[in-house]
Order: sequence, then structure tokens, then C-alpha cells
Amino acid sequence: MNENLFASFIAPTILGLPAAVLIILFPPLLIPTSKYLINNRLITTQQWLIKLTSKQMMAMHNTKGRTWSLMLVSLIIFIATTNLLGLLPHSFTPTTQLSMNLAMAIPLWAGAVIMGFRSKIKNALAHFLPQGTPTPLIPMLVIIETISLLIQPMALAVRLTANITAGHLLMHLIGSATLAMSTINPPSTLIIFTILILLTILEIAVALIQAYVFTLLVSLYLHDNT
Amino acid sequence: MLSRVVLSAAATAAPSLKNAAFLGPGVLQATRTFHTGQPHLVPVPPLPEYGGKVRYGLIPEEFFQFLYPKTGPYVLGTGLILYALSKEIYVISAETFTALSVLGVMVYGIKKYGPFVADFADKLNEQKLAQLEEAKQASIQHIQNAIDTEKSQQALVQKRHYLFDVQRNNIAMALEVTYRERLYRVYKEVKNRLDYHISVQNMMRRKEQEHMINWVEKHVVQSISTQQEKETIAKCIADLKLLAKKAQAQPVM
Repeated sequence: MNENLFASFIAPTILGLPAAVLIILFPPLLIPTSKYLINNRLITTQQWLIKLTSKQMMAMHNTKGRTWSLMLVSLIIFIATTNLLGLLPHSFTPTTQLSMNLAMAIPLWAGAVIMGFRSKIKNALAHFLPQGTPTPLIPMLVIIETISLLIQPMALAVRLTANITAGHLLMHLIGSATLAMSTINPPSTLIIFTILILLTILEIAVALIQAYVFTLLVSLYLHDNT
Repeated sequence: MLSRVVLSAAATAAPSLKNAAFLGPGVLQATRTFHTGQPHLVPVPPLPEYGGKVRYGLIPEEFFQFLYPKTGPYVLGTGLILYALSKEIYVISAETFTALSVLGVMVYGIKKYGPFVADFADKLNEQKLAQLEEAKQASIQHIQNAIDTEKSQQALVQKRHYLFDVQRNNIAMALEVTYRERLYRVYKEVKNRLDYHISVQNMMRRKEQEHMINWVEKHVVQSISTQQEKETIAKCIADLKLLAKKAQAQPVM
């Protein structure tokens, strides 16, 4: 039981070769590019969605921040498609692995902070002290702000990992509970309904993408352009 | 590949260019040739408008048609599923229920919102086409307007001689009017001058007459001596008396 529960989170291998690379490379196949103006429905809806999200996301940046738009839009698309594909049965979600999320979070956060420190040192350092603090509290507050800054990439990565993993685990558990109940007490179809509701809430894992990119965005904005 | 040959040749020919290694990628891109393939000589066939027909969203229709001469596809499908279940090739586990719920939600979502999304995508495409169509129609309309304007201008040119005739008449009349005005003015001036001379003459004559009369009166008055004056006065008185007697006699009768 224990082994089976976490079996879906083992990085899949095919005869010892990591298949995780193939799995991570799969989602772009679902987002076709096209060189025509009028496309089929899939491409049209996808292009419309991407246009909507990118406009929404990059609206609050200045010119320098908007140079990151390709990075951020591809980030949100990747995380969204990966999470949604992980909902299918017997599939593997790369974003459940902390290693991958750290690999996404740390470079992006570090890039934003370093960019901020390079261009406007005073502004970047000023973030370590909020306005209007009483003088005796300043040393402690600086330490706290530094810690909160340094913990941001960890928070980003762990947030995503924990949410997705928890969701998948829950679905597994409730599925196995239903399996057990179906032999003991068949009329417990109510639990199947619970799965359904949980699933639709889990499809708000897509909202996690919003949370991820949004947090990243906000931190980028604050660090870089103010 | 050719550009790399060029680079190495340049490096051997001019050793100072070896330091320009950072220009390497730019040179590679700058010397890349485009459009090396043969152009299409016939029109490229258009893309199909609809995808292939699919049953249950997964299995293409051709599969069913392929199987129909040999065996029923539904029977084959049921048999395969039951075989997999009974031999535990497919194990019913917790994942089965997860799969059921995911697929159930997906199917429900697609059935409910599918047509809406399809219509939305179609509308987006139609908007794009409408924009292009609008541009084309606007261009055609613009050119049509230009043609109409040109035609009307040409028609107007045909009728231009009326305008010229009217203008000519106008000018002739204006000339005539000016001529007559001047003629009248000349006449008036001449008459003025002649009137002046006449009035001068009249005045001279009148003055001469008055002068003559005054002169005659003066001399006559001078020539009347006192003697003559007395005699004339006495005669006049006698005449008057006579007349008075005659006159008085009349009413008595």
C-alpha cells in the first residue's frame, strides 16, 4: 500500500533510461504553431488564450520588464499544460519533483534580484527596510527582510511541489478508498462524488500556475523596476 | 558550411581577422542564403477544412470501415476489454476510479462547453477574415469612387462650351454697358460746356439790356426839365378832373 501510494511519483525509467525528459518535452507537441492567419479551432483558441494572458501579465511592467515576457509566458504555459496532463490516469507530472521546481525557481528569482542590484543598488537595498519602522527595531527587521528575500525561491519551488503532490496523493487515496468501499459497501457512491468534486478543485491546480507566475512576476516587478 | 569555409579562408589570408571570432555567428547568419529551393510551379493544394472524422473522440472512422468486412469493431473492442480485465492485464486499482472521474469530468466539460468554444474560435477567425474583407472592400470602393469622379469630370468637360458661351455673352454685355456709359458721360460733359456758354451769353445780353434800360431811364429822367414837369402835371390833373366828371355821371344814369 505504501509503495503503491507513492509509486506515481517515482521518476519513470524505460529500461534504465530516464523517460522524464520525454515526458517534459511532450507538452509543446500539444501547442502547434502555424504560419497562417486563419487556423483551425485549436490553434485559434490557444493563440487567443496566450494573447489574453500575456497582455494581462505584462501590462504592469515597463519596457525593461517586458523583455521578460517570452520567458514568463512560456513558463505559465509549460506549468499549466504539465499540471493538466498530470491529471490523466497513469501519467507522471514533472512538477511533482522538487528538483525540477527548484531548477525553475532559483534561476528566475536570482536573475531578477541580480538585475535589480545591478541597475539600482539603492532601490534594491531599500527593500530591506519597510517605511516607518521605529529605530530600535531596525537591525532585527533588516535580518527578517533578508531572510524573507532569500527564502523566496525556496517558497516558490516548494509551494508548487507541495500543492501538486498533495493533490495527486489525495486523488490516489480517495480512489483507493472507493476501491475498498466498492467491495465492502457498494452504495457508497457518494465517495465517488467526492472524488469528482475534489478533482474539479484540483483542476484549480491551473490556478497554481497563476499563483506561481504571479508571485514570480510580482517579485520581478518589485525588485527590478521600482 | 560555405560560410565556415569562408571564415577559415579569411583567417588564413588575414591573420588579424582571427581575433574577430566574436563576429563568427553574425557572419554565419549574414551569409546564409534563403530561398534555395525550387519555387512551386503549380498552385499548392489548399489545407483541408475539417479534420478526419473520429468516433468517441479517439478512434478514426477509417478504423471502423477497415474492420467491417472482417469483424464487428464493437465486438472486438468489448472482447479485448473483457480479456484484459479477466486476465488482469489491466488491474482495477485506485487509479481506475481516478481515471473514471477525470474522464467523466472531461467528457462532461467537452459535451457541455465544446460547441461554445468551437463557435468562439470560429467567430475569432471570422473576425479576422471580416477585417481583411473590409480592407479589400474599402480599397475597391475607393477606386470605384475615383472612377465615378473621373467619369463625372469627363461629362462636365463635354458641357463646358455652354459655360464659355455664357461668359462670352457676359463680357460682351459688360463691354456694351461700359461703352454706353462713357458715351452718355461724354454727351453730358459736352452739353455742360455748351450750356455754360449759352448761359454766359444770356447773362451778357440781360446785363446789356438792363444797362441800356438804366441808361435810357437815367437820361430820360435827366432830360425832363422842371418846366416840362410842371406842364405835364397840370395836364394830367385836368385830364383827371375831366375823367372824374365823366365817371361820376355814369352811375346817375
